Amino acid sequence: MDDKRRRFEALVMPHLDAAYRFARWLSRSPADADDIVQDAILRAYRGFDALRGSDVKAWLLTIVKNCHLTALKQQQRRGFVPLPEEHDAEDGEAMIATTPGPESASIRQDEARTVDRLLSGLAEEHREVLVLREIEEMDYREIAAVTNVPIGTVMSRLARARTALKARWLKEAEGKTHAVR
Amino acid sequence: MQCAESLRVQAYFDGELDALAAADIERHSESCSECRALLEDLKRVRTALREELTYRSAPPALRARISRSLDSLDKEKMAARRRAGPFWRGAFSGIGGTALAAGLAFFLLAPRLTSPLLDDLVSAHVRSLMPDHLIDVVSTDKHTVKPWFAGHTDVSPVVADFDNQGYRLIGGRADYFDHQRAAVVVYQHGSHVINVFSWASDRGALPQDTTRNGYHMAFWRSGNLAYCAVSDTGWDELQGLARLLRDLGAHDNRQ
Repeated sequence: MDDKRRRFEALVMPHLDAAYRFARWLSRSPADADDIVQDAILRAYRGFDALRGSDVKAWLLTIVKNCHLTALKQQQRRGFVPLPEEHDAEDGEAMIATTPGPESASIRQDEARTVDRLLSGLAEEHREVLVLREIEEMDYREIAAVTNVPIGTVMSRLARARTALKARWLKEAEGKTHAVR
Repeated sequence: MQCAESLRVQAYFDGELDALAAADIERHSESCSECRALLEDLKRVRTALREELTYRSAPPALRARISRSLDSLDKEKMAARRRAGPFWRGAFSGIGGTALAAGLAFFLLAPRLTSPLLDDLVSAHVRSLMPDHLIDVVSTDKHTVKPWFAGHTDVSPVVADFDNQGYRLIGGRADYFDHQRAAVVVYQHGSHVINVFSWASDRGALPQDTTRNGYHMAFWRSGNLAYCAVSDTGWDELQGLARLLRDLGAHDNRQ
């Protein structure tokens, strides 16, 4: 292993999970996410010499976002029509979770899937700022870099995304009480 | 109806405010029940996302696939190096066009702010967009705004209303940077705010026009004053205002 590869493994690869999570929330299809992440890592490796500064995670996620946009464009050119959002059932976890298990585990999983489903239902620009802020714990400046919008826009998008998620949540809770009673 | 401080409350919650502004918000939310409720909501959404969201990590198969691809890239490069002779020729072949573009795009868009002046200007612009920070003297009349600067800043910049050209004068503000009280003239263009900073600066070259964190910055000099217009509006619109002000400044200086 040469020096560049060793530095890449030490600096960039620790962020592979973050790259994968981000790709999963952007593309929503596990197969697409795999391709996007692979593409992004290879691009990152080729461009690694050009990396200056210490913000490796934001740099990698910016590349992931670019790869996602490229993939989207290619799909559109090929006339590919994405599945409607509810068809997340191709997601392995979602399918496993439908099989009845011990009650506590199933409630737990049900809960997890609720938040997953609510987040999936948000617009992409809202989903991405929420994931970057709450899951990847990035600051506004980093989020602005990854999403390629001004910081002011990050702030207003975050506010709208949080409000939208809360609204969906309340609606869901309401629906549940009605269903039970 | 949303409290005007809600974005700042969010910034406080996200740890984006300095100690002074944070204390300000803490004081505010003691008396504002709406902002207290907002803080509770923010906390609840965060907890739900962090604790309940399916936490994914890259599948081992993907990890292995990537590792193999990296190996084969390394091998290709080694082979190319052997074929090409001098090792430095191989060194350049590793920089793929797209990756380089991606890398460059990132650093053009989000550089570590190395110039303190650019850093100050962008922060001042962003700060000004937070509620109640934009304008100290509200006026569309240059005869109100210009004299106001005399008492509040160290400089007396060019002030004019270009409403006919689409740049409405909405007021002025004092800001402190580069060790002086700088004057900021605030214009509105469509839905965008343009801050025109001006400060005394005899020496040193001004930075090139640039884009920082998505904000365009146009610099020029008039007399011994340095000017910088900052906005998230388009480049052409920003340059349009810069041109008008520059022409007016040149005219004033001649008289």
